[in-house]
Amino acid sequence: MKSSKATALVLSLPWVLTFGVFWLFPILYSLVIGFTDYTLLGRGFNWTGLENFRLLFADPAFISALKNTFIFVGGTIPITTTVALLLALLVNRQFKGRGLFRAGYFVPSITSMVVVALIFTNLYQRGGYIAMLASMAGFTPPQHGFLFDSGSALYSIMAMDVWMAVGYYMLIFLAGLKAIPDELYEAAEIAGAGKIRQFFSITLPMLRPVALFIVVINTIKSFQVMVEIFVMTKGKFDTSTSVYFIYETGLTTQFQFGYASAAAYVLFVIIALFSIVQFVLLRRRQPIW
Amino acid sequence: MNRSTLSKIILIVVIIALAAPVTAETTIEWWQFWTDPSIKPTVNKIVAEFEKANPDIKVKVSDLTWANGHEKIVMALASDRGPDILELGSDWIAQFADAGHLADITEQTATDQEKYQGWGMTTYRERIYARPWILGTRVLFFNRALLRQAEYADNFIPISWSNLLEAATKIDHLGKNTHGWGSNTAEKHRLYKKFLPFFWSNGAHLYTPDGQYCILSSQKGIEALKFYKLLHDSCGYVANQRGIEDAFLEGKIGFIISGDWLLKRIELEKRTIDFGTTLIPGPKFTGRSFLGGEFLAVNAASDHKQAAMRFIQFVTSPENQVSFCKANRSANPSSIMAQDDPYFKSNIHLQTFIKQIYSGVHPPVDPYWVNAEAAIEDAVEDALFGSGMIAEPLHKARKKIDRSKRK
Repeated sequence: MKSSKATALVLSLPWVLTFGVFWLFPILYSLVIGFTDYTLLGRGFNWTGLENFRLLFADPAFISALKNTFIFVGGTIPITTTVALLLALLVNRQFKGRGLFRAGYFVPSITSMVVVALIFTNLYQRGGYIAMLASMAGFTPPQHGFLFDSGSALYSIMAMDVWMAVGYYMLIFLAGLKAIPDELYEAAEIAGAGKIRQFFSITLPMLRPVALFIVVINTIKSFQVMVEIFVMTKGKFDTSTSVYFIYETGLTTQFQFGYASAAAYVLFVIIALFSIVQFVLLRRRQPIW
Repeated sequence: MNRSTLSKIILIVVIIALAAPVTAETTIEWWQFWTDPSIKPTVNKIVAEFEKANPDIKVKVSDLTWANGHEKIVMALASDRGPDILELGSDWIAQFADAGHLADITEQTATDQEKYQGWGMTTYRERIYARPWILGTRVLFFNRALLRQAEYADNFIPISWSNLLEAATKIDHLGKNTHGWGSNTAEKHRLYKKFLPFFWSNGAHLYTPDGQYCILSSQKGIEALKFYKLLHDSCGYVANQRGIEDAFLEGKIGFIISGDWLLKRIELEKRTIDFGTTLIPGPKFTGRSFLGGEFLAVNAASDHKQAAMRFIQFVTSPENQVSFCKANRSANPSSIMAQDDPYFKSNIHLQTFIKQIYSGVHPPVDPYWVNAEAAIEDAVEDALFGSGMIAEPLHKARKKIDRSKRK
C-alpha cells in the first residue's frame, strides 16, 4: 500500500511540478502583483492595495475595452450558436455532396486565426471584395474600408469570428443530433406532430446540454478575444478588448505588470461569474426554452 | 621516471607557461536590428574590421527584429542581464536610462558633441546615455507625372500648406483611381510621426518650456490638426504606411510623407516612377519634420564597458557610417563629416533628407513618452475617423498626458 502511494506520487510529480511552476505560481504571483505598482523596468515595487482596481474603473481605455468585449460576446455568441445549429440541421439531412459541405464549413475553424485575419483584412479594405459586394447590394461601404471606421471595425471582426467559429460548433451540434434516438421522431410522427413541432419538442430539448456546452465554451473564448484584434486593427477604431488591453498594458510600452495583472483578475471574475450562471442553467432540470 | 627527470619536465612546463603571450580575450555582445540581406554583410564586415583592429576583443552579434526586439531588450534588462551593447530607437533611451539600465557615457562622448548630430535624443536629465548612429527623418515624396497631368510646371515644388493642398486636390480630381494625399490610418507608432511635422511646422509645442504641462491643444496645435484633417478629407488615400507606399509606387498618389527606406525600395525593386523629394511644407514656407534614429548604448550591467565603448566609437566612425549608409541606402548618418561624403552630395534625394534633419524635431526625451504618443494618436484618429471634431480630441489628449505625467 505504502509502496503504491509512493509510486503514484513519483509518477504524478512531473505533472505536479509543471503545474506548480508554470501554472499555479504565475497565477498566484500575478494576483499578488495586481495589488502593487510593479513594472518590469522598475527597481522594486510598492504595495498599493486596491489602487490598481480603482484606476482601472476610472480608465476610459479599460472601460472602452470592457464595453467592446461585452459587445463582442453578446453579438457573436447568439449568432454563432444559431447559425451553427441551422447548419448542423442542414448537413444532417441526406443529400448529394453532404460531406463536402460538412468539410467546407469546418475548414475555417482549423485554419490559423492569423491567416484568416490577414485574408479578411484584405477583403475588408477599401475597394475590396466585401466592399464590392456591399455596393452591389445597395449599401454604402465605409469610405476608407471596413476596418478603418469606428462604426464598422468591431462588427466586421465579429462577422469574421462568426464565420470562422460556426463550423466547429456545427460539428458539436451534429454529434448532438446524431445522439437523439430516431424512436422519438417516429413516435412523434405517429402522434401526428409536424416537422416544426418535432424540432421544438424533441430536437431543441434534446440538444440543450450540447447547446449550453457550446455557449459556455464560446463565452469563455469570446471574452478572451485578442489575436484577431492584434492582427487586424491593433485595438484602433474602437476595437480594443479586455485581453488586448492587458497585452498592451503589460507587454508593450511601459510593461505595467501590476496594472495589467489587476485587469486580468477583473476579467477572470467576469468570466467566472458568467460561467457560474451558465453552469447553474446547465444543471436545471426543467427546459429553459 | 626518476625525481630528477620529473623536476626537469615541471621546470620546462613552467617556463613555457610563463613565456607564452598573455592573450586575455574579452567577448562583448551586441544586439542589433539590421538583418536585411542587403545590410547584414556590411554589419559583419564592420565587426570583423573591429576585431582585426582590436585583437583582444571579440564581438558576438545577435539579431533582433522590430516586431519583438523591444520586448526582448526589456526582458533582458529587467533581469539585469542582456548584451553589453544595445541598438536602441530614440524613444526607448529615456525609458531605459530612467530605470538605470544604461551606462552614463557623458564623459566618453564629450569631445564628439560638435562632430555628430542627434545628441538631444540621447540626453536624459543632462547626462548622455547613447551615441547617435544612423538618424531618421521623413520628407515629402511627390509624383512628377501626376503633377504634370495636373498642369504644374516641371520645377514646381510645394513649399507651403496652401501649395500642397491645392496641388493634392488637383491631382485627386484627375480620376477615380488617383489620389492627392497618402493619409495614414490609425497605425500605432506611425500616425503621430505624420501629424507632428504639421504641428511643429505651425510653431506649436507639446509641452510648456519647463516640461511640466502639455500644451497640445494650443491654438496653433488646433490649426495644424485642422489642416491635416483638411488634406485627409479632401484628397486622402487612407491605408497603413506600407499600403500608402505601394499606392504611391503604383502612381496612384500625388504626395506622401515617407522615409529613406522608400528610396531603397524604389532602387531595389527597380521602380520606374517619376518622383521627387522635398522638405515638409510649412504654413507659409518649408516646415519641420520628425527626427528619430538608431543609437548605440552600453548596458549598465556590462562587465566590459570600456570594450563596448571602443566598439561603439568604431561602428559610429564617419567611415563606417558611410559604408553602412551606402549598403543600406540610408540617407542620414549622424556624423557631420560622413554627411559631406560624395555619396550623399551627389544624390539629390539624399540631400533632401540631410537638409530635413537640420529642421527635424524629436519628441521629448521622456520615459513616459509612449503614453503621450498614444494619446496624440488617439486624438488624431478621433479627428480624422471618429467625431470629426478638432479641438475636443486634442483637449482630451492634453488632459490625459498631464494626468499620466502626474501619475
